[in-house]
Amino acid sequence: MLSKDSLARRSVLRAATATLAVTLVSLAGGSPALAQMKAPKGPVEITTGSGPGGSPDVIMRTVIKIMTEQKIVDIPVVMQNRTGGSHSNAYNYVLGKKGDENLLLTLASPVFTTPIMQGTPSVIDQTVPIAGFIQSELVFMVQPNSPFRTMKDFVEAAKKDPRKLRIAGAASGGTDHLATAMIEKAAGIRLTYVPYESGSAALASFLGGNVEATFGTLEEGLPVFQSNKSRPLGILSEKRRPEASYANVPTLKEQGYDVVFGQFWGVSAPPGTDPAIAAWWEDKFRKVVATKTWQDGLKEKFQRSDFYGGAAAGEYFKKEQATFRALMEDVGLAKK
Amino acid sequence: MDSLQLLGQGFETCFTPLNLAFILIGVLVGQIVGALPGIGPAAGMALLLPLTYGIPPVTAVMMLAGIMYGGMYGGTLTSVLVNVPGEAASVMTAVDGHQMARKGRAGAALSIAAIGSFLAGIAAVIAVVFVTPPLAAFALKFNAPEYFLLALLGITATASLGSTSPTKALMAALLGLMIAMVGVDPIAGTQRLTFGQLGLLEGIDFLPVAIGIFGVAEVLASLERTAEIQPIRTRLRDMWLTTEEWTRSRLAIVRGGLVGFFIGIMPGAGPTIAAMLAYVVERRFSRHPESFGKGAIDGVAASESANNAASHAACIPMLALGIPGSASTAVLLAALILHGIRPGAMLMVQQPQLVWGLIASMFVGNVILLILNLPLAPLFASLLRVRYVYLAPGILVISLVGAYASTLDFGTVWTALAFGAVGWLMIKLDFPRAPLVLALVLAPLLESSLRQSLLLSFGSLSIFVERPLAALLLGCVVLSLLLPVIATIRRRATMKSA
Repeated sequence: MLSKDSLARRSVLRAATATLAVTLVSLAGGSPALAQMKAPKGPVEITTGSGPGGSPDVIMRTVIKIMTEQKIVDIPVVMQNRTGGSHSNAYNYVLGKKGDENLLLTLASPVFTTPIMQGTPSVIDQTVPIAGFIQSELVFMVQPNSPFRTMKDFVEAAKKDPRKLRIAGAASGGTDHLATAMIEKAAGIRLTYVPYESGSAALASFLGGNVEATFGTLEEGLPVFQSNKSRPLGILSEKRRPEASYANVPTLKEQGYDVVFGQFWGVSAPPGTDPAIAAWWEDKFRKVVATKTWQDGLKEKFQRSDFYGGAAAGEYFKKEQATFRALMEDVGLAKK
Repeated sequence: MDSLQLLGQGFETCFTPLNLAFILIGVLVGQIVGALPGIGPAAGMALLLPLTYGIPPVTAVMMLAGIMYGGMYGGTLTSVLVNVPGEAASVMTAVDGHQMARKGRAGAALSIAAIGSFLAGIAAVIAVVFVTPPLAAFALKFNAPEYFLLALLGITATASLGSTSPTKALMAALLGLMIAMVGVDPIAGTQRLTFGQLGLLEGIDFLPVAIGIFGVAEVLASLERTAEIQPIRTRLRDMWLTTEEWTRSRLAIVRGGLVGFFIGIMPGAGPTIAAMLAYVVERRFSRHPESFGKGAIDGVAASESANNAASHAACIPMLALGIPGSASTAVLLAALILHGIRPGAMLMVQQPQLVWGLIASMFVGNVILLILNLPLAPLFASLLRVRYVYLAPGILVISLVGAYASTLDFGTVWTALAFGAVGWLMIKLDFPRAPLVLALVLAPLLESSLRQSLLLSFGSLSIFVERPLAALLLGCVVLSLLLPVIATIRRRATMKSA
């Protein structure tokens, strides 16, 4: 016969198992039910160092749009552009707002590269990582009338005439600059990198026939080569894109050049942010990424949405930061 | 289908109560953000962007574009009345417009700005209708070497700005170039003249400098002579343009509009540079260049026509190629993306309804702005009847709030105040202030395009003569340097023979 006591113990056990099961289910469903969550009071400002219309700006505006329209958050969330100083205006503002629960920083590559270039402390090591949630690949394009049909043609021409092939890109030390450095390293060639004020200025330079090659995101690149204004030589990713419009464009990797480099964006909170607030935001970003609107948008823009939340985001950003630092030291852009 | 038919359909899209209402909202907001220093049209558009999510994409871009060109009309107001540029593109308007206001001609300055903006704007939209694809191709011919020579043309012209000696004007321009050197090198990424200060990494933005050197300095200088300053007594019927003023401005509008249009289609320039170059071009063509800087109505007409023409022309590379020609068109592009429309070379083919609706809305918007601004000009001008002692604190507040709003960083307020002191010194020592600001605006373009050119040419200077457009511009630069020398030699020769 079972005592009352053991019955009680059993029910406790049962309850615990049930809770555990629920937790596991919800974990599988993607919601971090284990972490304590607390909502910020709002209104919330999401800061970016990009001007209105830049990629980080457009991405975060899309997130805010989905969050508000689909009632994922019920507090007001506004976008704030704090431009200047290659995102340092924006991140210095956030670094100065210790523990501010109504503030988030948009992470884009300059947030990582500017401190490396200026020799200032890493931003990502000081802020509280929330999520890395969107990635975009790059396509390498040459002039449509050029003799280069494959990456091999291009590399051989560059070997014959070092530094005579010109690449237009956005900003010194930006993604395009580092991608150029990666290609130089992987293929053992030297190129001439011409930095412009923005991605669109670089594209204008390419379309005007001033340079031999340029990079574009897959979204930017598509209308360019579809209207026969460029020839794509390769995508800088692990594997080919599944979409029909890009199915015939090989990766640089399959052509024998190990160049896998793309853009990614994320979000972090000011130093000393309450972990419960951070967990709340992580949950909200996870929900945004799961919406149909977001997923449809990804397909249209040929982007990926691998989600790294909380501690995983921290690891992810640290790894990317190390990649940036190594590349920038290679091209002499890192300040010692 | 030909352009006129498509435009007709554009007007059909445009003339719905909803769309007309949003065009009206757009131009009104544009007028306001243009007039408030610090918040330019691009920032205003970004602020209102989230409000457009619920409405159809075509209505949204119509409204946002309204803010873009409405800002060009609004910026005049603060420039003329209080000598603080309402937005970047009306810096040159402040130079002559405010001097006109001092002479009781504020109404005329505001009227000519509205008329010039309207005529140049409408002409620019007509050009957008008929020649967008070929012009977009032409715009691509402009690259680093051409931009460099264009900026150089502007810098060489600074010597002639200002009423005193060319040496003083050049010294002011040189100071402007030095200020522009502060910050991170645009090509190599190294720090220059930052003295280890994080705040100086991003360099010194020209807007707080302009606000300080024009607005704050003006107030400081007037503090010393408060007793003398009489409120400007003007009767309402003096507010309208005189025949002489109109004759002087007619050709200035044409030239300003043309310069503005061509600078506007280049993806590297934008309305601010357009207005500045139009001003220096106008001074060259003027029969009385000595009046520039002292209240020349043709200076106001040229720069205001130019900035509005440029803001419309910037739509050409945006619509035809997906490349924004200015900060405002970059926001328009973002709006398209957020509304699920992919900009780029295929936009005009894939979204004719949107593109032609937008173009038609620009005709409508410009008409609304003209109707709005003409009767308001005398009304605003009569603000200056308030005694200066009461007006001065207001100007100071507008200036400093504007400086803060441009970056949301308190550091820029100190920048504006510091340059207020610099501007006051310049007034005292009789240095012209416009060359400093002009040089500061042109310097980044001058520097990065020179270095880009040399990267493109692998270090050879021949790139400036090999390209036909560059060679043409180089000819203009040489001519602009030689003409005053030739004139002096001739004058001496005639003096000798006499």
